[in-house]
Amino acid sequence: MWKKSIITILLFCFFALLQDSFITHFSFFGAVPSLVFALFFTLAFFVKESNIYQIITLAIIAGFFLDIFSFTYIGPSIISLIIIGILLKYIQSALTTRDESYPFSYFLPLFIGFILLNELFIGLYIHFLDINKLILSFDIKIIYYALYSSIFATLFFYIYKRNLKNFR
Amino acid sequence: MTLNYRAMKNFSIHNKNRKWPKYLAVAVMLLVVLFILNIFVAPVRNAFYTISKPIQGALWTAGNFSAGLLGGAFKYGSLEKENENLKQENQKLLSQIATLQSIEQGNQAQSDVSLACQNSDFQYVMAGVVGLDKDIISISKGSANGIAEGMPVINQQNILVGKVFKVYKNFSDIMLVSNKNSVINVKIQQQNVITDTSASATLPAEIDGVLKGDGGLTAHLDLVPINSNINPYDVLVTSSLEKSFPKDLLVGKILQKTKNDQEPFQKAQISLFFDVKTADNLFVITNYKNPK
Repeated sequence: MWKKSIITILLFCFFALLQDSFITHFSFFGAVPSLVFALFFTLAFFVKESNIYQIITLAIIAGFFLDIFSFTYIGPSIISLIIIGILLKYIQSALTTRDESYPFSYFLPLFIGFILLNELFIGLYIHFLDINKLILSFDIKIIYYALYSSIFATLFFYIYKRNLKNFR
Repeated sequence: MTLNYRAMKNFSIHNKNRKWPKYLAVAVMLLVVLFILNIFVAPVRNAFYTISKPIQGALWTAGNFSAGLLGGAFKYGSLEKENENLKQENQKLLSQIATLQSIEQGNQAQSDVSLACQNSDFQYVMAGVVGLDKDIISISKGSANGIAEGMPVINQQNILVGKVFKVYKNFSDIMLVSNKNSVINVKIQQQNVITDTSASATLPAEIDGVLKGDGGLTAHLDLVPINSNINPYDVLVTSSLEKSFPKDLLVGKILQKTKNDQEPFQKAQISLFFDVKTADNLFVITNYKNPK
């Protein structure tokens, strides 16, 4: 249990550093993918629906690292990811198939939808509540951002599914 | 996709309503923890950045190197290096043109300040770039090195990068000129009139405009009077109207103008001179005083 938690924290930390300092050199039309969100979503996607506390724990870890490398207060990403995690499990409980519990055909559209929702939450927070009163308007770049991030999410999905099923 | 209503009913949030006080307690506890954490947000963030600085610095350098390697994969090895040198040379020349044009206009005071700027009378703090998030970059120096909020930031070719947005003890956040919240007064230097340097030459009136960040490391020029003649490759420098930055710092060049007779102003797409991807070190001007 402890080993798993430490690995998860280290993984999120490393991906946050990678996203902030390395991947930023490989922008696609100005968009940089969110590795942390992609990892959070992949792990949350495979969490059992009844295990709501695991979702919250993942959201706190991922949200903390997203917020610490951002200019906002610590909290908006954590709250946003908790909401997203719970919504994801709610939708997953409604969408099931007989042969496979976690199909990719559900994963990708859900990922794109939720990453856009996360940006909306954070954008609204920064615009209305953050002390810096910054503007994060939505334009075509956000689509590039979602698509670029989905490449990494797809990669994480298959890595998890093939190698790390016992990790959850 | 099929809707499985039985599964929905089994979902823990719905069928265990008696657990809601537990969830509420968790939510309240989380909010309290976040509140306490935010009281100490500056030292927490500073400590985190201080610990991660060596890794971030290494990752930034590795990213820079890898991007250069991949970018030049389809080119001849030396071509990219040569291109970079030419780019730097060009930026230096553009910087000199900015100064020369001020002299040509006979404004001695303006040129004095411009020359002071170009000749490094300002005091600088050099800092390494360690991260980038939403057109805000993090640098490895902070209040302990004399950096304060609002200070202008340039690179080694006197190209405007942005201004200090937030300062912590050992690092700072810089809002780039491409940030959506960045609005800068600029003047447009027309390239086709620079060649004639004789004193009797008629120089065009200075064209003012406003550079607005678009996010994603891009920006556009706005509020240029409709009757002003601007052209592709015209160079933008910071204007004397701009209070946050020294004037005549290079900003970018016009790519394409958008003129609509229905509107009182014209706009233009801009190519910014500052390339964050190739930036390793930046310079914070620590003694710039806003002109009153």
